[in-house]
Amino acid sequence: MTLLEIQDVTKSFGGLKAVDSVNMSIEKGEIFGLIGPNGAGKSTLFNCIAGVYPPTSGSIFFQDQNITGQKPWDISKKRIARTFQLVKPFGSKTVLYNVMVGSFSRTKSPLRARDRALEVLEKLNLADKKNILAKNLTIADRKRLELARALATEPELLLLDEVMAGLRPMEVEEIIVIIKGIRDSGVTIFVIEHIIRAIMALSDRIAVIHFGKKFAEGTPTEVSKDEKVIKAYLGEDYVIA
Amino acid sequence: MLLAPSKPFLRNRVKEVIMDLILQATVNGILMGSIYGLTALGLTLIFGVIKVINFAHGSLLMVGMYTAYWLILLTGINPYLALIVVVPLLFFFGYYMQEIVIKPVFKAERDVREPITVIIVTTGVWYVLDNLSLILFGAEYRVVKTSLSGKTFLLGELIVSTPKFYGFVATIVTAVLLYWFLKKTRMGKAIMATSFDRDAASLMGINQYRIYNIAFGIGTATAGVAGCVLIPFYYVFPTVGVIFDIRCFIIVVLGGLGSIHGAVLGGIIIGVIESVFAQFMASTWTEGIIYAIFILILFIKPSGLFGARQDW
Amino acid sequence: MKIGLNRKATNYLLLFLAIIFVFILPLFLKSPTYLQIMILLFFYAYLTTSWNLVGGFAGVLPLGHSAFVGIGAYTSTILYLHYGLSPWIGMFAGGLLAALVGVIIGKPTFQMRGAYFALTTIAIGEGIRVMVENINKIGPFTVNGPRGLLIPLTGTSFVNFQFLSKIPYYYIILTMLIIVLGITYIISRRRIGYYLAGGGEEPEAAQALGVNVAKYKLIAMAISCFLTALAGTFYAQLMLYFYPKGILGLDLSFEIAFIALIGGRGTIAGPILGALVLRPVNEFSRIYLSGFLPGLHLVIFGLILIIVMIYLPRGLQEPLSKVYNWFADKLVASFSFKGAEKG
Repeated sequence: MTLLEIQDVTKSFGGLKAVDSVNMSIEKGEIFGLIGPNGAGKSTLFNCIAGVYPPTSGSIFFQDQNITGQKPWDISKKRIARTFQLVKPFGSKTVLYNVMVGSFSRTKSPLRARDRALEVLEKLNLADKKNILAKNLTIADRKRLELARALATEPELLLLDEVMAGLRPMEVEEIIVIIKGIRDSGVTIFVIEHIIRAIMALSDRIAVIHFGKKFAEGTPTEVSKDEKVIKAYLGEDYVIA
Repeated sequence: MLLAPSKPFLRNRVKEVIMDLILQATVNGILMGSIYGLTALGLTLIFGVIKVINFAHGSLLMVGMYTAYWLILLTGINPYLALIVVVPLLFFFGYYMQEIVIKPVFKAERDVREPITVIIVTTGVWYVLDNLSLILFGAEYRVVKTSLSGKTFLLGELIVSTPKFYGFVATIVTAVLLYWFLKKTRMGKAIMATSFDRDAASLMGINQYRIYNIAFGIGTATAGVAGCVLIPFYYVFPTVGVIFDIRCFIIVVLGGLGSIHGAVLGGIIIGVIESVFAQFMASTWTEGIIYAIFILILFIKPSGLFGARQDW
Repeated sequence: MKIGLNRKATNYLLLFLAIIFVFILPLFLKSPTYLQIMILLFFYAYLTTSWNLVGGFAGVLPLGHSAFVGIGAYTSTILYLHYGLSPWIGMFAGGLLAALVGVIIGKPTFQMRGAYFALTTIAIGEGIRVMVENINKIGPFTVNGPRGLLIPLTGTSFVNFQFLSKIPYYYIILTMLIIVLGITYIISRRRIGYYLAGGGEEPEAAQALGVNVAKYKLIAMAISCFLTALAGTFYAQLMLYFYPKGILGLDLSFEIAFIALIGGRGTIAGPILGALVLRPVNEFSRIYLSGFLPGLHLVIFGLILIIVMIYLPRGLQEPLSKVYNWFADKLVASFSFKGAEKG
């Protein structure tokens, strides 16, 4: 069943078309990957879905409901969660506090929010760090915290924006396992990533975006054999981890 | 206030008088406004370059005024000659204020999105400076007679105050010098570079903190110029800085952060509004109008008339 | 058997003792001067704690809060002078009005960046003061411009919120302070507190987690302004006289903000600690030093502000809580030891 439907979405900034008539649909339960060179429009698309700004034209449907142009907090309430490419932890607060801000979206009770947050931290192996201030975490742990916070909102769809940037190969492996675990627990995942190996290993399907336009889509195998994709990436400064 | 005379002749005469009044007020406003712009030049440089919100700017102006006052009182020299002493003195005052007081706070808040502590620290400096001068010099309003005080000259039918006219000239000269300095000299370009992207500038070998010190010094020195300009016709007293402080912020926002011509033009606009409206209502209401305009600008176009869109 | 006190119980015990202490203090402190100093101390602690809801928790820097003190004072006093309405009721009317004004001001200004927001609050605060100074009457109500309002002495009367002795005022402001602290504590533990803290620190992240940051900031603003106005009425009834420069002035706004900042904004203890440290400094230097060095207390204030901000940006509560923790831990240790002996 189609969970997220992106219809003809265009986003222009002044004269620049960051996203150009993109069509995409994401099925429930899958991990859908989005790749493309820097500046191709990936984060812009995410921001349109997440409500940071409305698309210039086109529509976005979630569970058959039109969510185009809604505010980020309303989108979150509809069970769409997102992480940020440049992580934004609440630095002066503890790990537990950070995640509780997320779990409060599901309950008003501080006790239940706390319990729920601890559960999520357990799942992501961060429970032992629950009283550490977020600003004192390593980058890898901050990424996990970002993930934990988003998960605490109990989303149906999780948008991951370059969650592996800046991680060492071993940390990348760990995160891949975690993400797969999240999918197995019933969350649909839409992933933007630069690290090709990771996204090929993770995704059920992949779309490729370049200059704001989608120009390939399919399973990882299909896409990696696509001539256009190969041509576009020859000479591209791409991270192959 | 406006009478309605029955005879057309009288009506015309009244109109003429009012027009004269407004014209005179406008000229006064332009002159005084340009001086307001002069006081705001330093602030726009500091605000625009270092992105430091210096609430103590008015107090620095006050220091400049008192320095000029004492110098002139004790030596009787021409206020514009006093510049030779006042400007370097205030440059170093500003340089070290940035180095000692602001830098440590600024460094600590490097990565914080909104460096509020700097505002607090500069307000502390404001309190300290204003009250120190209260203790040292007493609360009385002082004025010193200079060769310029009270002189006027006629421009057609308009009476122009000589010291204010000199101030107008001084403003233009200072603004042009500042502009030339920033665009043409090596140090100036370094300052501009640092203001656009301090990390990039620092990667190119520019010592950002030294730049900040110098920029702050220059900003304060400009306040020193303003101090000398104001002395011939303005009272000096410990809290004189407060009025100018708020004015300067309004002008800087109006004219646009970091814009030299914006500061001068913004000052002139404020000066004209103040002067013209003062003909028709009490001065406290004109103050209110200026605040209202300030708030309106903040809502409609916070980047001001000539400012660039700031992302901070 | 080990009779031990854990840290949590110790905290509650010490808090309880502190409350008892302040409640019985007037029995020992007979001098009206000292009572007045304590009253003003609680008054400022109250104001800064209320301010903290916006300036600390919501992460913005409002520098025009005296406007709400003034709204409280003027509203209740005007209603009393004109309609004979008990200032207790007028107090709540003032609070509601202040909350309304606060929300109206907050809605457009909260979108601004920190420095611009601070400047705007200063401009609005000063704007309101200038307006009040220039108006003699609003409709049928006398406002009296710069001369301020004088409340006629009626002798001790609860309904009229006037007492000849300082002691009732002491207990009233103390109760108000405890209530405000309670409100702050409850907010910090509940969802609204978390949302305010998150929204203040990283608004985009908070929004992505379902927080309508603007809405919560406005809620905090409304509560803060309401509470601040109540203090305005209290002040009016305490002094029986107030005027625009004093009650609506920039000095008051700044003092409130700076006490909170020096104490430690965003924490519960911070504003109180700030008031505890700075008010006595203010009072004593004003009383003893103003004679021959007017303004010295403000110089000291300014210097403290600068030094604290450079070396202790989180406020005095940071080192002081460490001291408290050390002390409380020692207490726990000594109690446990005694318990072990008994067993």
